This record gives sequence, structure tokens and C-alpha cells, in this order.
Amino acid sequence: MDLPPPHPVGLGRRSLLRRGLLGGALLAAGGAGFLALRGGIPVPLPPDGLLVFSPAQFAVLDAVARRMVRPRPGWPTVDQVGVARAADRIAARTEPSAQKELRQLLGLFENGLAGFLFGGRTRPFTALEGADQDRVLGEWRDSRIAVRRTGFSALRTLVLAGYYQSPTLWPAVGYGGPPGIFADPASNEEWRGGDQPRPDGNGVWHGEPLP
Amino acid sequence: MSTAGRILGGRDHATSTTVDCDVVVVGSGAGGSALAERLTARGLRVVMLEEGGYWTRHAFDGREDHSYPRLYQEMGNRATDDQSVLILQGRSVGGGTTVNWCTCFRTPRRVLDHWRDHHGVKGLTEEALVPHWEVLEKRLHIAEWPLDRMNDNNRVLWDGCGKLGYSRGLIRRNVNNCANLGYCGLGCPLDAKMSMLVTLIPDAVERGMTVQANASVRRVLVEGRRATGVEAVLLDPETDRPTGVTLTVKARTVAVCGGAINSPALLLRSGLEGNGNVGKRFFLHPVVIMSALMPDPVVPWTGAPQAAYSHHFIERGAGKVGFFLEVPPVMPLIASTVFPGFGEPHQELMEQLAYVHTSIAICHDGLLPEDVGGTVRLRDPAERRVSIDYPLRPIHFEAFREACKVMSRLQLAAGAREVRSLHAVPVRIRKAAEVDPLLDAAPWEAGRVRVATAHQMGGCAMGGDPRTSVVDGTLRYHGLDNLFVVDGSVFPTSLGVNPQETIFGIARWASQFVAAATA
Repeated sequence: MDLPPPHPVGLGRRSLLRRGLLGGALLAAGGAGFLALRGGIPVPLPPDGLLVFSPAQFAVLDAVARRMVRPRPGWPTVDQVGVARAADRIAARTEPSAQKELRQLLGLFENGLAGFLFGGRTRPFTALEGADQDRVLGEWRDSRIAVRRTGFSALRTLVLAGYYQSPTLWPAVGYGGPPGIFADPASNEEWRGGDQPRPDGNGVWHGEPLP
Repeated sequence: MSTAGRILGGRDHATSTTVDCDVVVVGSGAGGSALAERLTARGLRVVMLEEGGYWTRHAFDGREDHSYPRLYQEMGNRATDDQSVLILQGRSVGGGTTVNWCTCFRTPRRVLDHWRDHHGVKGLTEEALVPHWEVLEKRLHIAEWPLDRMNDNNRVLWDGCGKLGYSRGLIRRNVNNCANLGYCGLGCPLDAKMSMLVTLIPDAVERGMTVQANASVRRVLVEGRRATGVEAVLLDPETDRPTGVTLTVKARTVAVCGGAINSPALLLRSGLEGNGNVGKRFFLHPVVIMSALMPDPVVPWTGAPQAAYSHHFIERGAGKVGFFLEVPPVMPLIASTVFPGFGEPHQELMEQLAYVHTSIAICHDGLLPEDVGGTVRLRDPAERRVSIDYPLRPIHFEAFREACKVMSRLQLAAGAREVRSLHAVPVRIRKAAEVDPLLDAAPWEAGRVRVATAHQMGGCAMGGDPRTSVVDGTLRYHGLDNLFVVDGSVFPTSLGVNPQETIFGIARWASQFVAAATA
């Protein structure tokens, strides 16, 4: 089953332009006070805490993860993998400016005011039913406003990476994991020059001297 | 028996320090390594700085979740600012050569001719490069991968080309005792890939070169017409965050070899803007992808990742962007983010991953006059992340659309049950008659179809005219006596073939000019 097709063209050019400009301004200001998260549904936080996101932003990630990865026989659940926590850890390795953009994006995605301006919805994303959440995701994906498509792409990548980084899903996709050769104990040596001679190996040239 | 040189990490200096050498080489990929090997052979004292970590087969465990953060720029998530193009680019000792898919092509003569005729590049001829390629092809064991060892993923492209009468070829790979595992993109666990990590870098270290990993070079130091060295901050090997220790390397000559995003960024941070040309003419061989569900497993994560190619469509006539065809390996984590959709449709495709073949069409950008490429700019100068703008133009989307048609026909001819585009809402095609109407009707717009790149070029274009280029025909920065750029960033256009062998050859050729400037 695929998601519903993109929305039919229903906006006049002037309206689209206005929304486009507003969209850019909103994303830039996503974390500002007037867009503060309110009315979202809280979720249990990881016991070892959060490194990048606020509890409210974490709840958005968690909600998106539950739509991106559906319960399926033989597949680990979003809770078993800890997708939103993993996404927080991935974000923690990015640079401060990228973290700031991700926080802004989650704020904008959740926010009722932005939802209203973009698509007429006033409830926070986390408070919507599943089918309505899918519709919102589809609206971002298919938006004529490029910055929303960009935001969707970033959010989707972060959440899917948070899930598919886990080796526990390998059986579900028929992947057996790296071959045993990777466990070669002979490789347990890291050459650093100095008092160590260069170890022999495939990369050492044994042929005639080269010009 | 000891070794003359050393390989150091980010924790090997407790306090900020200054060292002297003849040539400091910034970057340890194809360009920096091929250059440094030659300089040490001439007896020069070389220090090589690499921003990424020193990871060897000891650490290559074949896991995507470990490998992308360690071995790729921005953990494998580098992209253009608008996220429309995913940029896979290496970042560790060995640079891209540690993680590339081992594909080797010499530079096409017509591309070198184009550079001469349209960009004023003098002296960089096929005749000049051939002696260097011949040596490197021996040293790096570059040879055609035999048809009987080709994996099923490549076989789809090979068979499809055969059935439709498109030209096809076997790829030459830089491998020695390769076991055909298929994990080249995550670092070779056997040191069978003849990457710089296990060949020319150790060769140079044996002659006394110092490699400093985890060193992020923040600026080139300049006095008058001379570069006097570089200043780097050391990064913690575990967290990749600055340790607070600064390393200053004073040198008689500076060679910037950070590749086609980080080299222009370093010049810009150093106030070297090349009359506004630094960061311009940035090309990335934009790639479109078609996936196909095959009737039998192709197990696309197993076997030499790239073994077959077709250059049938590399020249498509006036006003059109050509493309060439190859296949990528497919592994779960990267597949999950590159394949479109989410929820059940996405999971259904992922569940069939062993049956999924993918073809890629790599577009030869930069040849047409209006195809001026993208732009690399600085963001916060304190950060390593830079702004990457690559406007996809109508000429690109025309090539994408036609390339997707070609790939669909090839995949169907090879027996695919269904082929799918990587549009945000995938186009699904089951028979050849559907190819044109369905793909003509698809949305060809940035952010609506997955575009990726594994080849980054340009940003410090070489050329005869300082008003339109960054380095001259000897790769010397216009206006300075002893600053060179030696990597894929000097290409004034993209190549139309996988770039590593071109970079090896040009770097080895350019070592004579770097050495002469150091005398």
C-alpha cells in the first residue's frame, strides 16, 4: 500500500508564493518562542538521557518512527531498537549548526501553528491519529515548498538511520551480516611506524623496483 | 628493524606544538598520497595531515553503523544544503580510496582535450599521464575483473546491455588477492584493496613521512607571495571533537589535497578566494538510480561491487548531458535511507533486499557551457561543515529521465519482475511499453527524486587564466609561489569516468612541480 498521491494543485500563485516565503521564514525561526511546542504527547525518555533533543522533540521523533517503521512479524519494534534514542545519538555526532537545524525542524514539524499555515491542521503532530500523521508526512514529502521537502528528507533519513543501524533487523531483511572473515585475529595489529617494522601484506610491493 | 616515519593520532600530542618539514600535504586521499609518495622518493621531508581517523583492517568489521561514522564525511550524511543530492565522500587515512569501490579508468582523451581547448589547461596531456598510469597500474595491481567472478548484481547490467545491444565493458580494479567479499565500501578486511592506506602511504612512511591523523587544518599561513605552513586543530579520535591542542606545521611548500569540497573550503578559510573562483565550478557526477526486483536472489551486498559498466550513452549529442552506467553495492542501512517511502511499502521492499538489483547512471556534468556546476561556501568558519549548493538544472533532469528509461529497459530485459524509480513516490514499471509514459509523467524536480554522488570534483579549477581559474597548469595557486592544490578539486569539469585513477595520475605527474618549488 502506498501513501495517498500528492495533493492536487489548489493554491493560486500568489497564495503559493506567500506560503513559500513564509515557509522559509518559519523554518529559519522554528525554535523561536512564538513557535514553542505546546500540547504535544509526552513519551518515556531513555534512562540514560538525551544528548541533543528536548523531551518534546524526542516525542516527535518517536511518533515519526512509529509511522516510518510499522509493526511487522519478524521485525524488531521501534521500542526494541530504541529508534528515537538512536536518532538522538546520531545527531549528537553532528556539528552544532546541524543540531540546531534538526531541533528547529522537529519544532516546526510538531507545531500546530505551522501545521495550520501549511495545511490547515491545528493539533500537534504527536496528538494526531496514525493515518493523519501519515497524511502530514505525505504533505511534507510532496510539498511544493522546497524547504518542506528538504525537512522531510532530513527527518526521514534521521529516523530510518536510527532504526536500520541496528543489527537486530538484519534477519528481517534477509541480511546475514558481515562474513566471518571480519573476525580475523591476525588483523589485530595496527601499524604505526617508528620502532615497528612494516608488516608484510597485500599492499607491500614485491616486484621489480618501479621508476 | 624500525620504520623511518610514523603514523600519529589525535591523542599523540599533549600540548600545542610546531613542527618543520619540506612539504606539508593536507589530505591523505588519492591526490595527497600519490604526491607524497613521489616527494619522499626524492628525499623530501613530508608531513601529511588527515582530518579523519587512522582506521585499518583491525577496525574494519563490515558493519555499516560503525563504518559510516568512522570512514565517511559527516558520517555518510553529507548532502547539498537542500538535501537534494546525497554526497558519499571518504574521510579517514587513505581518504576516498579506503572506501571506494575499486573502479579504475584512465582519463578519457576527449576530456583532457576539452580542458585544453576550453579551459586553457596546457601540458596535461594523455602523453604526459601515460607513464604515471603505467607505473601506478603495476603498483596498485589494476586489472580487469574477470567475467566469471562477476556478481549477480553486476550481471544484470551486463546481461541487459548484451540483450539490448549497448556497449559494455569489464571494470579494472585495484585489488590484490581479492576474495570477492563485496565490503569495499566499508574498508577492506583483507587489505586486498590497493587503497592508499595500504600502499603509497606506508611506502612514504617507510621513507620517513609523518602522518598525523585527526588533524583538521583550519588555515594556510601566508606571508606575501608565500605559503609558510598550515595550522591544524587536533580532534579526539573517539568523539571527533577538538582536543584543544593545535598543531602548526611550517613548510617550504604547502600542498592542499583535501578533495573537491574540503580543499576549496580550506582556501576560503585562509582568505584565498582566487578572484572569486574558489568553490566555483564544483561538479559531482550526479547519479540517478533505478531499483529492480529480480526473480532470483542477486544478494547485492556480496561480490566485487563494480565489475560491469557501459559508456554507451556518454556522448548523447549537442546540448545534452551524457551518462555512464554502473551498479552499486546495496546494504541495509544505506538502502533504507536511499530507497524512497516509509512505513509498510518501504518495509516490503526492504524485506526483499536480497532480490533487489540497482543500476546507477552517472551524469557527466560540466561540459556544456551553461553547466557551470555548484558552489562550495563557508558556513561558520569554526565548523567543519560547509555550505554545498548544487542547482540541478533542466539539462540534468533531461539526462536523469532518459537515464532512468535506459536503466528500466535494461533491467526488464535482464528479467526484472518490476522496476522502481527512486522518486519520493516511486514510479513502478512492469513492462517495457510502460517505461516512456510512466517516466515522462514523473516529477523531475529537486527533492522529488533521489540523486546521489560518490565523485566530487572541481572547486579549485585549473586553467590558464587567473580570472577564471584557481590553479595554473602546474597546479600552483595563481598568485602564490609555493601553494599547490593536488586533488580532484582542480578538474575544470567532471570526468565521465570514476575519478581515482585520474587523481593518482595527475598527482604523480604534478609531484615534479611541487618538488621544483621546494628546491
